[in-house]
Amino acid sequence: MAFLTSPELERYDRQIRIAEIGKTGQEKLKKARVFIAGAGGLGSPISIYLAAAGVGAIRIVDRDRVDVSNLNRQVLHWNDDIGRAKADSALAKLSRLNPAIRMEAICDTIIPENVAQLVAGFDLIVDAMDNLPTRYLLNKTAIEKNIPFFHGAVHGFEGRATTVIPRKTACLRCMYRGPIPEETFPVIGVAPAVVGSIQATEVIKWIIGIGALLENRMLVYDGLAMRFTEFRIQRNPSCDHCSDSSGKD
Amino acid sequence: MGVHVHIHKTHRVATDGKDMVQAEGNCVGECLEHLVKQHPGMKEALFDQKGNLRNIIEIYVNHESAYPDELKKTVREGDEIHLTFMLAGG
Repeated sequence: MAFLTSPELERYDRQIRIAEIGKTGQEKLKKARVFIAGAGGLGSPISIYLAAAGVGAIRIVDRDRVDVSNLNRQVLHWNDDIGRAKADSALAKLSRLNPAIRMEAICDTIIPENVAQLVAGFDLIVDAMDNLPTRYLLNKTAIEKNIPFFHGAVHGFEGRATTVIPRKTACLRCMYRGPIPEETFPVIGVAPAVVGSIQATEVIKWIIGIGALLENRMLVYDGLAMRFTEFRIQRNPSCDHCSDSSGKD
Repeated sequence: MGVHVHIHKTHRVATDGKDMVQAEGNCVGECLEHLVKQHPGMKEALFDQKGNLRNIIEIYVNHESAYPDELKKTVREGDEIHLTFMLAGG
């Protein structure tokens, strides 16, 4: 177990006081290795809160450079960062937020040829992408590696989240009907702030082993109505990602 | 009384701003047909040119996913259908 130092005990005192966390939970967070796909609207709050919570190692991957149109929601990146690789910008902010954790940022496109190597050695995958094909690629990779996958997505004032435990719960692909046209989606920053915080909460709960995860539950957030709605989802026995026969010829 | 069909806000332009429409039918498909009769603009929102449910649409009956074969799922008086769609933004 990763023992906590005196500075760490002081830094995380307010969450160690939570009965469900305690020193044991904080040690689990310190030992955890989290992979975050995307340093944008969702990746910003996810990485900020997981770094602040003391997750021991975080790798964040993003291929893009900061654009002025990102700044309404991607709070890791500031005006001075326009034109800078998001990975570099994220690393600079998160390292300053919590210098005690191992923080790594990679500027790369997540593709079938590199995804296994990118996530190798990590305990879980957090989905903070902005397109469905990469989300599905990460979903499949998580199932193949038997590690959990924390999904979140946003549109406008709306968002959703679910947690996938391989071959136990419905996965992102279980309700797949076919490709969906890509779009430049509308979004206001508070939507990914809410959904990203939910994803980070799920990650913390899973690492420590507390609470009830969003298993087989799609939580839908409507910021305009200020309402959360929960839908039940089920594993698809014919799912090409997570069925027992998937991946077999 | 019929079945309560909850309309996603992006589709409410086709339902005169209504967030819920009453529809009659014994299955989801029949309810959606009745919905389209009342609000013809919902046809393009839900179905492609071949009449198939658009890939992006998700249907829940009484808060439970109706996938697969959503249109064949039986419904009863007082049931709730939620029409929503897959999100990809991040």
